[in-house]
Amino acid sequence: MNGIRTVAGKELARVFGDKKLIFSLFIMPAVLMFVLYSLIGKAMGGMMDDIEKHVPSVYVQNAPEGFDEFTKSLEVDSETTYLKSTDSLDDIKANIKSGDADLLIVFPENFLETVNGYSNGMEIPEVKTYYNPAEDYSSEARSTYANTLLTAYQQSLLADRVGDLNSLTVFQVDLDESTSIITDEGKASGKMLSMMLPYLIVMLLFTGPMSLGVDAITGEKERGTMASMLVAPVKRSQIVVGKIIALSLLSCLSAIVYAVSIIISVPRMFNGMEVDGLATSASFSILQMVQLLLIMLSLVYFYVAIVTLIAVFAKTAKEAGTYVSPVYIVVIVAGVLTMFSGNSEMQLPLFAIPVYGSAAAIQRVITGELTAAQFGTSILGIVVVSTILTALITKAFNSEKVMFNA
Amino acid sequence: MIQVNNLTKVYKLSKKQMAEQKTKKNMKKAVDNVDIKAVPGEIYGLLGPNGAGKTTTLRCIATLLKPTEGDISVCGLDTVTQSEGVRNKIAFLTNEIKLDPQFSPTYMFRFFGRLHGLTEAQINERMKVLFEQFGITDFKDKKIDELSTGMKQKAAIAVSLVHDPEVVIFDEPTNGLDIVTARTVTDYLKELRAQGKVVIVSTHIMTEAEKLCDRIGIIINGQKVMEGTLSQILTETQGEDLEDAFFRLYEKYNTEEVR
Ligand SMILES: Nc1ncnc2c1ncn2[C@@H]1O[C@H](COP(=O)(O)OP(=O)(O)OP(=O)(O)O)[C@@H](O)[C@H]1O
Ligand SMILES: [Mg+2]
Repeated sequence: MNGIRTVAGKELARVFGDKKLIFSLFIMPAVLMFVLYSLIGKAMGGMMDDIEKHVPSVYVQNAPEGFDEFTKSLEVDSETTYLKSTDSLDDIKANIKSGDADLLIVFPENFLETVNGYSNGMEIPEVKTYYNPAEDYSSEARSTYANTLLTAYQQSLLADRVGDLNSLTVFQVDLDESTSIITDEGKASGKMLSMMLPYLIVMLLFTGPMSLGVDAITGEKERGTMASMLVAPVKRSQIVVGKIIALSLLSCLSAIVYAVSIIISVPRMFNGMEVDGLATSASFSILQMVQLLLIMLSLVYFYVAIVTLIAVFAKTAKEAGTYVSPVYIVVIVAGVLTMFSGNSEMQLPLFAIPVYGSAAAIQRVITGELTAAQFGTSILGIVVVSTILTALITKAFNSEKVMFNA
Repeated sequence: MIQVNNLTKVYKLSKKQMAEQKTKKNMKKAVDNVDIKAVPGEIYGLLGPNGAGKTTTLRCIATLLKPTEGDISVCGLDTVTQSEGVRNKIAFLTNEIKLDPQFSPTYMFRFFGRLHGLTEAQINERMKVLFEQFGITDFKDKKIDELSTGMKQKAAIAVSLVHDPEVVIFDEPTNGLDIVTARTVTDYLKELRAQGKVVIVSTHIMTEAEKLCDRIGIIINGQKVMEGTLSQILTETQGEDLEDAFFRLYEKYNTEEVR
């Protein structure tokens, strides 16, 4: 016991005594995350503001009589140029292509006469718009004109023709949409969160073990400081357990830093927009939180164990790095799988698969659908595997081939 | 007491090592049937050229490697079956074993004191004595990284002795040290001898072996080719001094067939 505490203590002291390491492990990710999300938020917000403020330059050919007044009555902000049927459109189309003009609307000649003179079977006149979907201003102008202005204009012409528009409407669906939604609000927003969170947790928890484990094991082997411990009268298993405990503690800490900075930063991305999912995280029950915590702890133990096992066999830190990276990819894939599998039925034994089972369990904790059997299976599965890994690590520590290359 | 009986140590070579050593054999017999007996109150010296098998022998005594053949006992404890007990009784120093560069000598001293199960009071007392002895007090709180080779070596020696061990196994302890620092170390080894400890050192420095060691074992190509006091060795080889004696032995035993 004494040995475990001493070994773990040195590991912690090593990290906390190193300002650069503290910075790169705990401070930089938090700051980076915050800055990144703030910048994204700013850019997104700025873009929308800009589009809203922009006054589109619109060209209208053969505008029917009264169209100009109609546009003004709807308070559509635009710089409109009216063209005659004889004007050439090529320059304007070229300008739209280059982003210098935003929209061109072409009415057929004698539009109003055709509309008013309509009788059954005649051809229906077409209003044609030209725009550039690659340009934000142009798409926005087109969507304003097509969806709002032209539809309204169509309605008003139709009203002129039939008199009472209501006679054309047989029934309506959902006048007030918000009153027709019946849902458990926690579960609905939990659903959003349950898609992202398992993936994020599964991925972020790995970063700590990955950056710390290799240095704590392979690094010490390379520097010759591991051997000094092997000459001391402590059991190899105590050294292993001490290292794993210290690495797990540090990994949890770094995961907390990540989690907190995500929670603080993400709302900055949406810059004032409402983020429902995050609000529900506060409405977890005690049981859910305990379950989540236990799953995360077991996951950290597994990560630390697998990185340590790789690190102990690797001869150099570089070699260890090349072996750890594919493992990280597998972990990410396991996380992504749950993201897309949704809440579909999953057979109980599958929960015992490390990482995959944990991600699925986290998903169900959030939606409140995790059964005791699923929870137990996922914890038991990953802990058993991790314990076996720990035993293998101890065996490797006892091997002179592994420790001394002999 | 250290008793090494018929020690043979064979390294299995990886493909890369085979290429490096330009050999087709995938085995390297680093130590070949060696007997050593070192008793309390004496300094035993292992003398041999590079690659002779000195470090390998000492690592086996220090429980880090298991003998391929033969057995070793330290203070009556077997190095394989009672390795933890053996580790409690020994100090082991070799240039491949290092102290953590980012910690101070003080921290490392406490760390190993705790691993040896000493109380804080015991650690403080030992620290006072040993740091004074080796002149570490001036730089005891500096990072090991920032120390000179000599300072590092002094710190490493002090740390290895934290638990006042009965057996001291030092692999080339004066390697890379200036004569002043080297003298500090050899003087301390003599003091340990006076305290009745078992001391075994390896070296390839002839004068050091002559002056320091009570008995010398000469090891060439993994085999112990001669053992005895300085005068015994000189008589037997008819050499003028140890260097002369060594070369006579070296010419005789370093043949292709042994290699
Ligand atoms: N881990 C290892 N794997 C394979 N061969 C090894 C290993 N360590 C040492 N050897 C080989 O065993 C032989 C003895 O090495 P050892 O380190 O014991 O010699 P030494 O007497 O300490 O030499 P030096 O004076 O250079 O320190 C050498 O030929 C060396 O190449
Ligand atoms: Mg050596």
